[in-house]
Amino acid sequence: MSENGNRPVVAFSPEDMARRRRRSVALALVLVGLVVFFFVVTLVKTGPAIMNRPL
Amino acid sequence: MSAAFDTIETRSEGVALTSTAEARDFFALLKPRVMFLVVVTALGGMATAPGAVHPVIGLAALIAIAVGAGASGCLNMWWDADIDALMTRTAKRPIPGGRVAPSEALAFGLTLSVGSVIVLGLVANLLAAAMLAFTIFFYAVVYSMWLKRSTSQNIVIGGAAGAFPPMIGEAVVTGDFGLHSLVLFAIIFLWTPPHFWALALVKARDYARAGVPMLPNVAGPAATRRQILAYSLVMAPVAVLPALMGFAGLAYLVVSVVTGLAMIALSVRVLRVSEGEAAYKACHALFGFSILYLFLLFAVLLAENSLGLMWALPKVIG
Repeated sequence: MSENGNRPVVAFSPEDMARRRRRSVALALVLVGLVVFFFVVTLVKTGPAIMNRPL
Repeated sequence: MSAAFDTIETRSEGVALTSTAEARDFFALLKPRVMFLVVVTALGGMATAPGAVHPVIGLAALIAIAVGAGASGCLNMWWDADIDALMTRTAKRPIPGGRVAPSEALAFGLTLSVGSVIVLGLVANLLAAAMLAFTIFFYAVVYSMWLKRSTSQNIVIGGAAGAFPPMIGEAVVTGDFGLHSLVLFAIIFLWTPPHFWALALVKARDYARAGVPMLPNVAGPAATRRQILAYSLVMAPVAVLPALMGFAGLAYLVVSVVTGLAMIALSVRVLRVSEGEAAYKACHALFGFSILYLFLLFAVLLAENSLGLMWALPKVIG
């Protein structure tokens, strides 16, 4: 344990880091899922005409 | 900065201040089994609603409802972490188990609450979203923060929170509430006391240690057993109403009558067998069967209304 100002701190163990990495991967998957979710719902709500517009 | 120099706040008394929790710990905060029942009952409300909704919109609304239910479970675990730590059934939950920091659970629950309500409002309608917001508020604030520690009728009134999903489901489809979802609300509302009190009889010592005034601890086991039977006697006929009102068919009628009689028989057994191991088994049997009972009712309702499997009966009521 080391001191950081007045706050006592501890270093992450390799196991802690592995857990945090797995959590970050799960969060990334959720975010990708949300992007797909909003994309599909938007298509359904607005209808296929949203694809048919002049460039 | 190297990973080895990343820091976390020190832990005290087993409670993580900054956790290294995994995704499954956060998933556990959502009470997945409760979420599953909410999904089934909300689907029941959607399936029996007079009208239809695009399958993708229905699925999106269902996900929002499930996440909202999970968020209220998460806020409940955040608020009740102190008493959860005292009870054997809940001591290993993510917060008392020291895997998730209370502040993380609060942030997670609030974020999901706001997010699920906004998403439901966008994909469905404002009434459904307002109803989901009210359900989360009712469970997290009215039940968890107020009723649970102050009255033996906590799960009776609080049971309304678990009974709202079919109404939200109907609101998603029609933008309104009707008689169908009110009947489904009544079934779940009347089902909650026998279901929870069967568990409370078995876990009376746990609740006493945590200071939660469950009915067996306040009115005594005998009064609780009588009330379990009384609620079952009212609930079983109400559960038949969907068939009599024309929004469920023959299969539902048979299942609701047979399983309703089983609920009454198990409640009678709980009343009669009140000592020793047999009493423990009777309560466990009722608790376990009550979950199957509710699931079966809504599964048959869903199959009949969504899969075209309904053998229609003449409308007797409504």
